[in-house]
Amino acid sequence: MPDASQLELLSGNRMTALGALDAGCRFFSGYPITPSSEIYQTMMEELPAQGGVALAAPDEITALAYCVGASLAGYKAMTATSGPGWGLMVETVQYAVMTETPAVIAVVQRLGPSTGGATQGAQGDVLCTQYFTSGSYTVPVLAPSNSHECYELTQAAFYWSERLRTPVIVLSDKEVGMTSESVNSDSLRRWPVVERKPFSKSAKFFRTYACDCLEEPPAFSAVGGRARVAATGSAHDQEGRLRKNSPEVLELLIHLQTKIDAHADEISLIDEEPCENADLLILSYGISVRAARAAVRQLRAQGRRVSFLQIKSLFPVPKKEVVRAAAGCKRVYVVEENLTGQYASVLEPIVGSERLVRVNGIGHMITPGEILEPVDAT
Amino acid sequence: MSTPYLKQDSALPYCKGCSHSIVLRALGDALEKLQIPPAELAIVTDIGCVGLADAQFATPHTVHTTHGRSTAFAGGLSLADSVLGEGKLKPIVLIGDGGAMIGLNHLVNAALLNLDVTVLVHNNFLFGMTGGQNSAFTPLDFVTSTTQAGNTTPPLELALCLLAARAPFVARQLATDGNLAEVLAKAISHPGFALVEILELCTAYATRWNSLTGAKLKQVADRCGFQLGILRDERRPRFKDAYREMTAKLRPTVARRVRANFQLGNLPRPIGVILAGTAGERVQTAAGVLAEAAMRSGLHVTLKNDNPVTQGSGFSLSEVILSETEILFTGVEQPDVIIVVSGDGLKELERNCILDQTKHDTLILADEGLTFPDVSCHILQLPLRKIAGANLAALAGVAWWLEVSQIFPLQALRVALEARFGAEAASVKTRLSQLSHAESAAGHGH
Repeated sequence: MPDASQLELLSGNRMTALGALDAGCRFFSGYPITPSSEIYQTMMEELPAQGGVALAAPDEITALAYCVGASLAGYKAMTATSGPGWGLMVETVQYAVMTETPAVIAVVQRLGPSTGGATQGAQGDVLCTQYFTSGSYTVPVLAPSNSHECYELTQAAFYWSERLRTPVIVLSDKEVGMTSESVNSDSLRRWPVVERKPFSKSAKFFRTYACDCLEEPPAFSAVGGRARVAATGSAHDQEGRLRKNSPEVLELLIHLQTKIDAHADEISLIDEEPCENADLLILSYGISVRAARAAVRQLRAQGRRVSFLQIKSLFPVPKKEVVRAAAGCKRVYVVEENLTGQYASVLEPIVGSERLVRVNGIGHMITPGEILEPVDAT
Repeated sequence: MSTPYLKQDSALPYCKGCSHSIVLRALGDALEKLQIPPAELAIVTDIGCVGLADAQFATPHTVHTTHGRSTAFAGGLSLADSVLGEGKLKPIVLIGDGGAMIGLNHLVNAALLNLDVTVLVHNNFLFGMTGGQNSAFTPLDFVTSTTQAGNTTPPLELALCLLAARAPFVARQLATDGNLAEVLAKAISHPGFALVEILELCTAYATRWNSLTGAKLKQVADRCGFQLGILRDERRPRFKDAYREMTAKLRPTVARRVRANFQLGNLPRPIGVILAGTAGERVQTAAGVLAEAAMRSGLHVTLKNDNPVTQGSGFSLSEVILSETEILFTGVEQPDVIIVVSGDGLKELERNCILDQTKHDTLILADEGLTFPDVSCHILQLPLRKIAGANLAALAGVAWWLEVSQIFPLQALRVALEARFGAEAASVKTRLSQLSHAESAAGHGH
């Protein structure tokens, strides 16, 4: 039972917005879409009062393009949407990837495809928010399972977005976003507010995409600052010039992946309830974590030796943690609210298809009972 | 003398005779005339032959973007700089007729907001870079690779669109105009949104397939009915001016924190409470008050609301879980308490099969006016709507149930009511207490 500390009833969506504000987000542009509209509304109410810019965009493409423009000018920026809006934003997110422009995009999933069910939760956009670039460059994707984590992982999203100069996605869903729960603000994990590595030498030596070390992003200078910026969505050399197939251009493309891979261990965020000599592992992310934890408790009460692993950083895939948690287990149950087991397909080569069991469903939150069933059948 | 804006030693990448070269030089001349510090300029280029222009600039910032979206990126730069920065950055968008149609909504939006952005539309009546296909700006009868028998769709009158979008500066010029640099300079120095549509010559396709020359450009404009010259040059407040004024009056929201300082009553295991009623009748308010009262008593709480996609009508449903320990699964699979106060609410419970999910000891507390199908659990009907009124019926149900169940002290509910209703709280409490008296007077329901 919580002590006599201060509590607040807060939805995942509101916590996403509060996490962004506390992370130093200064610019928000959005378009309302169920079930993410509360993030947009909260930012419209709170950000201007804190001296930032929040404004309505006529559509999702504009919303994200405004954010990327603001980020090119040097400011931390965010937008929020759901699956149908994400589809519109994909081209612009690719632009952020190629230009190494930080931006945080909150995607609050709902049932698809297409308009689908606006007021129905789902976890069906996992692969869509990862394999959307021509070239499948890894973009960090963080998945909160409750209101606390919406705050913490949005903070983490800004941290990595600025640190590595990349878009980062906070992937929740209708149930996480629109469920309110009692939150103790003192118990929130706050991330340090990080600034992009600035270019600090004389302006005449600035090259927009200069990379001494491919594992680190280029030093940043704002459009509007003293050093001349040549940003471009074309494949470019270190000057920012379009040069087809030159070795320097190819090296910079590889760098887009290298900078993420090199920090994969640091980005890795998991939570776990390990069990010694476990022969079963239940693994989940996002909303399904809550049912999974409940199922694990019930199984342990029945005397089963079962470990639990929550993935908070879906991408880059925390391979080491998955391998470690699954070691010695006969079965690995991957619980997610989509039809085909999207994250399971990512884990299959890591865990092995003989061991991996999918626990899936659509149109309702997966219940603890639906997890117990296949486990009991083993 | 400062470095020229355009590279002096660079061969332009355009075809021989292409008027992009003329326009680019006119832009360079305009910038030389205005002497805007290069660090305060961002040349934002779209896709197409016009998108090769950024490589020709020596000193201003350049941002090469995606097709049609250049104005939106430029808008983001301007919004951020004008409110958060020094407000000196001037993005100049170089876009073709292809980009202008793809991004027409960005042009309109930037004009309506009056963002400090200059857009130069290089209209050569077709898509040059990709092989001369027709665009939304291709004149009637024009031959392009995709209208080889002559175009049959009339072209867009872009300037009129932007005038309708309240753009304070709109001009249409020919690339061959002697005063082009002067007009560009006027547009760029205009405080706010400015658009210049420049009619151009594509010598790879347009001039070859149509008898089009520099001298004949004006005839094309005439045939299309396009007015030339500066069509509007006015002032109106820019986005940043209105924004600063508006935000000066705002204050951040105060967090609604509560202290958990009431004694816990009686809650051996988590319970799920469903409230069902009609949209607009404060069902969700009742759930919120219940949740906050429970928090004040040291309970963990989750709360979810449901209503039809049409926000203001139909049913309103809330699910509240109360627990001494951390709440994991947030679904109420078998409700412990259902408080239903209207026909809309009851219909939704039936439709959603919630009534089928009751257990034998579920308590259904309902308004006396409702008729139920068969259920296996106990239904208690009270004059909730009659006594408390439509807007407080759900809250009355909550209060009645709390008094009876003693999950946590009623005083916690009273404090939560005060916090939520403020000045109204006293009359709300009176109404709720009337139910308690009426119900004991009438005896328990069926």
